[in-house]
Amino acid sequence: MPATESIKQITNPIKKILTSEVGFLVLSLLALIIGISSFSEQFLSAPNAVAILHQSSLVLIVAIGMTVLLISGEVDISVGANLAFSSCVVMAVINQTDSIALGALAGIAFGTSVGFINAFVTTVLKVNSLIGTIAMMMMLKGGVFLFTREAIQNHHQLPLFPKIATGFVLGIPVPALIASIVAIIGWVIMTRTKAGRLFLATGANQKATRLSGYSPERVKFAAFLLTGALTGLAAVILASLINAGQPTAGGGFELIVIAAVLLGGTSLMGGRGTILGTIFGVLILKIVDNGIILLRLNQDYQIIFPGIVLILALYMDQKRRGTTND
Amino acid sequence: MPQSNNIKSKFSLFSTSRGNSELALIVSLLVVITIFSFMSEYFLTVRNLTNVLGQASIIMALAMGVAIVLISGEVDISVGSVVAAVAIPLVEIMNATDSLMLGIAGALALGLMIGAINGYLSAYLRINSLIVTLGTLFIIRGFVYLYTGKRPIADTGYLENFFQLGSGRFLDILPNPALVAGIIVIFFIFIMRHTRFGRRIYAVGSNAEVASLAGYNVRRLRFYCFIICSLLASVGGILLSSRLGSAIHTAGMGYEFQAIAAVVLGGVSLAGGIGSLFGVMLGVLILAFVSNGLGMINLPTEWQLVITGLVIIAAVALDAFKKKSR
Repeated sequence: MPATESIKQITNPIKKILTSEVGFLVLSLLALIIGISSFSEQFLSAPNAVAILHQSSLVLIVAIGMTVLLISGEVDISVGANLAFSSCVVMAVINQTDSIALGALAGIAFGTSVGFINAFVTTVLKVNSLIGTIAMMMMLKGGVFLFTREAIQNHHQLPLFPKIATGFVLGIPVPALIASIVAIIGWVIMTRTKAGRLFLATGANQKATRLSGYSPERVKFAAFLLTGALTGLAAVILASLINAGQPTAGGGFELIVIAAVLLGGTSLMGGRGTILGTIFGVLILKIVDNGIILLRLNQDYQIIFPGIVLILALYMDQKRRGTTND
Repeated sequence: MPQSNNIKSKFSLFSTSRGNSELALIVSLLVVITIFSFMSEYFLTVRNLTNVLGQASIIMALAMGVAIVLISGEVDISVGSVVAAVAIPLVEIMNATDSLMLGIAGALALGLMIGAINGYLSAYLRINSLIVTLGTLFIIRGFVYLYTGKRPIADTGYLENFFQLGSGRFLDILPNPALVAGIIVIFFIFIMRHTRFGRRIYAVGSNAEVASLAGYNVRRLRFYCFIICSLLASVGGILLSSRLGSAIHTAGMGYEFQAIAAVVLGGVSLAGGIGSLFGVMLGVLILAFVSNGLGMINLPTEWQLVITGLVIIAAVALDAFKKKSR
């Protein structure tokens, strides 16, 4: 029966794509792009592509750290609050010192120290990271208002500072460039280095990692520090974007980041996940966002669709693997 | 190997932890009350203590539901959005029919529906419940925004019994919400301790495989837990709405985190199967008294967040330390 033979030959590659890690995400992304562009002419234009890259950058930078953290079996709920606090630190230090470099360094240092405390609480005090970072989120949300009651404005109006978020290098928005560099470094670490394998090993089997002579605590410590540092980096861009430090920023940011990472196929239970998947997860969420605006739908759909996409993605992922996710 | 996967996963993100002994929680609660009685003369008055019970009632209802779902081995973080959602049918039906009972029936019906959706997706389709409820957290909040247009819906009927529900006092002493919460606590402590249903939930949470071999319908039991949780969140939503006298689109934001923090403080394991609702009640009360006491000594509300976070970390870390030295 040649007919069924040829069908088999056609379905096999499709199956292969569907069952590969990222292939499914690529297909979903393509479907989204085709779907939205058939309804909106503006969608497939250079300015819109730039806008999407712009909007994806903040989430992507933090999502790279969160991917590594989830892979090593922990989670950080405090990234949203950390983002807001760090952005205030960036602006305050710039106002004090008149130096953008010092402000950026201070923001990244602050973000990293939050990561350090999270790591300490999780790995040394043995507090479950879900609870420990919820507590950290509360402390940061309270703390940022003790630090500043209102948004910190850019007092010196340094003209260069807003350029970090709005500038272009070779036609690429600076935030997108920073995010790409972060993503590439993350990808290299996770796929090409021993450190990357250690993150995966720790999340997959902590005991075996310990028996092979590595300290899972130290690996997790590194993942928390990375997430904190990247959150600080994102805070520099955020502060530059609004040209101020906004204590109320970052509400719900942690959920968007985690949603993007999970959408990209990283397991909540650790030991499985890819940077590439996370990049696609962020892009899918942001293209959906963008589509909602272009199609002139009510902006409230911007929080409804990610929820549906997230549940649907996990369900399909599970069907595809033929396993349950518990 | 789904089985070994299952066991492994419980040790990574959701590490097992034995509960705080209830005695330690009672002592902590007494210590908190004693400290604040010395610091503020207004703290240890009948008026203030009953007020705290009233303020704690909403989180209390939520925490009971979250605890039951956690004990069954799943998690529900959509409760904060449920609080906002159920207020809409409550107020709309009351405005249309002038009947509090019909309004409450409408609110509970919506809660039941949300619980059934969460339960179906998590228990029957076996999608990870953290992701399902993270998704519904977004989706429900989005629909609340869409419906209300981000404006409060006022109770225009000014029903006396609706006002009384939130602001009246039973026998002129106990705030009515506290009475409702008290009845819920006693009822569910009884269910979880003394009924076959309660014991089955513990069995399912501690080892689903064994519970299933023992002939329990694991999926159905978990499904029921999600419905109970959502119904209790609806009760919390009704109480909050009756205190506010309207349906507010931002109501209940972040309550899921407060509820989970109180539940874990109360000794419920994030891995399932361990914990008592009596402990959860103490956990909610400790957090409520800490927050009230800090207010009484005129500490800014921001400090309350910071100190609450510290209390949570200290309590959970102490518990982990005790376990290690045992």
